[in-house]
Amino acid sequence: MRTNYTEIELDALRELANIGAGTAATSLSGLLGIPIDVSVPTAAALPLADAIDATGPAELCVTGVAIPIDGDLAGSALMLFPEDDVATLCGLLGLEPDSEYAASALGEVVNILCASYLGALGDMTGLQIDLGPPEQVVDMLGAIMGSILAMSAAAGDVALMLDSALIIEGQACSLSFLLIPSADGVDGLLAQLGLG
Amino acid sequence: MADISVRMGELATSADPGTVLVSIGLGSCIGLALVDTGARVAGLAHIMLPGPGEHASRPPGTFADTGVAALLAEVLALGARRMRLSATIVGGAQMFGSAGRMQVGARNEEAVRAALRAARLPVVAAETGGGSGRTIRVYLDDVRVTARAAGGSENVLYGGLALPV
Repeated sequence: MRTNYTEIELDALRELANIGAGTAATSLSGLLGIPIDVSVPTAAALPLADAIDATGPAELCVTGVAIPIDGDLAGSALMLFPEDDVATLCGLLGLEPDSEYAASALGEVVNILCASYLGALGDMTGLQIDLGPPEQVVDMLGAIMGSILAMSAAAGDVALMLDSALIIEGQACSLSFLLIPSADGVDGLLAQLGLG
Repeated sequence: MADISVRMGELATSADPGTVLVSIGLGSCIGLALVDTGARVAGLAHIMLPGPGEHASRPPGTFADTGVAALLAEVLALGARRMRLSATIVGGAQMFGSAGRMQVGARNEEAVRAALRAARLPVVAAETGGGSGRTIRVYLDDVRVTARAAGGSENVLYGGLALPV
């Protein structure tokens, strides 16, 4: 069981996240018709309680959209939207934030971003990555992260989190995309990069 | 009052009436409070997985079996009497509900209840299941345990004014 990763391994994972997020940003830009920037991704292997703190205050109410991942890479992809960002994103899509379409549109946006991100990862590594349907909840950040980590990191002592921010030009809105692979999944990724 | 935050996999105990033990945002996790209202001693564990918890490198509060054992040992060390201890459990929600995914919340509750039964600790109150995250607080001043669901109000589950005379 892995409890830590070397700097070289984390660098390789960061590069994967960078390419994945770049592809996702291109898709989002096409969807919204405005430029999207990508931040330098962070890759960190953290004890589980610290992994929750790293995403924000546990009591913060957010919308979380999770996509289960299976195949050669198991784990979860997760996007967290603070309330203001839901409103901004819905505005850009021409939807009322509280309308019945907003929730399904948000799920669809996450679906497109995940498919682009993980598609790029799959192309690069030759791994078959299958996406499940998006699941959406509005709840406390800590409860969402804890539940995701309990499912994804059940076998690991630490959670490896690849975090990329997609920055929407002209808007105070950056979307955080988290990839939380299972411990086995990370080893598979690294092996495909020759670092296994 | 000073809050002591009990994060995922952690546990904490107190006999200081000025403290509140709190686990914010329990999803599928279980917040387990063990209280002795007579000695005014309480402990809180934030349990993540059913177990078995044989992995020594994990914090003991991570798993149901090791979490119950470790919490029990700590409250007894602080002066709680085993005969007077009672358990309150909060959490165990199923936040992501699609079929085929692990029912972590329900399995957590089942495992915590089994570990409590094995230790002969009665569950006097519970707020579990459903689809919402919750926060558990244990107030040491009048030794009460409360739960609050996301967007809801705080309910007293055990102790405080609700204590039997």
